[in-house]
Amino acid sequence: MSFDASLLLAGPYHTMLLAGLVLTLQLTAATLVLALPLAIGVALLRLAPAAPLRWAGAGFVEAIRNVPLLAHMLFWYFGAPELLPDALKERLYAGNIEAISAVCALTLYTAAFMAEDVRSGIRAIPSVQMEAGRALGLGFLATMRLVILPQALRVTVPPLISQTLNLWKNTSIATVIGVAELMYQAAKVESATFRSVEAFAFATASYLSVSLAITAAAALYHRRFPVRTL
Amino acid sequence: MTLTTIRGLLRAAAFAATTTLFASAAHADQLADIKKKGEIVIGVLGTDEPNSFVDPKTRDVIGYEVDLGKAIAKKIGVKPVFKQLAVAARIPELQQGHVDLLAASLTHNKERESQIDFSLTTFVTGQKVLVKKASGITQLPQLAGKKVLTVKGGTQEPNIRKAVPSVDVVTFETTQQAFLALQQGKGVGYVNDEASLIDDFAKLGAANKDYLILPQSISVEPLALGIKKGESALKAVVDDTLRELEAGGEADKLFVKWYGPATKLKFEKREFKFVSDKVDG
Repeated sequence: MSFDASLLLAGPYHTMLLAGLVLTLQLTAATLVLALPLAIGVALLRLAPAAPLRWAGAGFVEAIRNVPLLAHMLFWYFGAPELLPDALKERLYAGNIEAISAVCALTLYTAAFMAEDVRSGIRAIPSVQMEAGRALGLGFLATMRLVILPQALRVTVPPLISQTLNLWKNTSIATVIGVAELMYQAAKVESATFRSVEAFAFATASYLSVSLAITAAAALYHRRFPVRTL
Repeated sequence: MTLTTIRGLLRAAAFAATTTLFASAAHADQLADIKKKGEIVIGVLGTDEPNSFVDPKTRDVIGYEVDLGKAIAKKIGVKPVFKQLAVAARIPELQQGHVDLLAASLTHNKERESQIDFSLTTFVTGQKVLVKKASGITQLPQLAGKKVLTVKGGTQEPNIRKAVPSVDVVTFETTQQAFLALQQGKGVGYVNDEASLIDDFAKLGAANKDYLILPQSISVEPLALGIKKGESALKAVVDDTLRELEAGGEADKLFVKWYGPATKLKFEKREFKFVSDKVDG
């Protein structure tokens, strides 16, 4: 059996694989948009002046990052939606519940890791800056927003890009809850055609090229906006 | 990375794949290997009652196909080792030699004949659709445009698409996850082999009054054991074992034990025999 690229370049299997790639990109984009603000919120909780807020932040991070993503996926698909009131549940199930559950699981999982990176970024900014902000009469949140975060996020970009790479690959776990992303479509093409090498070569090439594009973006950012000496 | 490098890499991958194929082809007699290592590795699903499933008390895999596997191991004079496989992994695992024999609710059809060999037909089942009565669906065509659930990598998905072309299919790793998703209302129908559906229907207990198995079959599925392509010595032993089971009346007993009136499935009659390894579709 030789490698037959024709089924990857045109026809129904090409369409299926392409649809999978598009959905994988959409999952990544939606998750990134939701996870980033959540991560910043959690990082701020972990550094808040009040102890109960710090505990809440730490609880979120530890509860989520210590459980495998596969378990998160199954929980957000088979478990969590069942707790909703019936009317809401029916409306949700009539739509694309698979993708919604996947975005929930990926958002929380990614945010837990990103929160730790953002926290390290904030801690890298000398504490005198916070003290200076407070001395000027700014509150904790205002100091964070105007003084600390603009510097901290720049330091945090490289680890955040690396989390984005993880997120891009983690979307493949969504195949277990029936989300028709790239791995799901590749498996479907495989079982329809028995052309495993071709189907997974497409998936591999797609994951690799987008990953390399993300890495290139990181390098470009690093050159354009180098970390200012602290 | 340039296009030529990508092409080079793909060629290397294809080359690696072909070498593996040749390597395994040179390794001719699997039956001799099985006898030498003293065990036969049989791939089963382990999630599909009553063909193969885990006994909640002993944690062993038991079932109709497990008993067939044991009979074959006994005939060869080796120890049977059962390995649980995912539906989609069955044929690749056999082709790569990770299992010697498939006894995994495997449909025998023409498309698969180019990939692997099949034993005599060991069971005949139709595939059907289980729906909730509240959906108001009583006939197959009403599934048009609706979401149905089933397992990945089996014949269920292509068959339901053939029967109802506009249907929306969502697939899961196991049939039981698809069945759970139906119970939770995440789709209107759940597609599976009839025997498995009847078993799932029985599992619902009192709640099964809210469910209905649509009367029309979407296909007729002859199930058989899967053997690696070209392993004629192994196929001969497997088929002989099945013929002996049929002639000695054991085949009937196994059917009654796992599918008969005293089981959850309550099949009255055995409408097939272990005689042929030919299929129509």
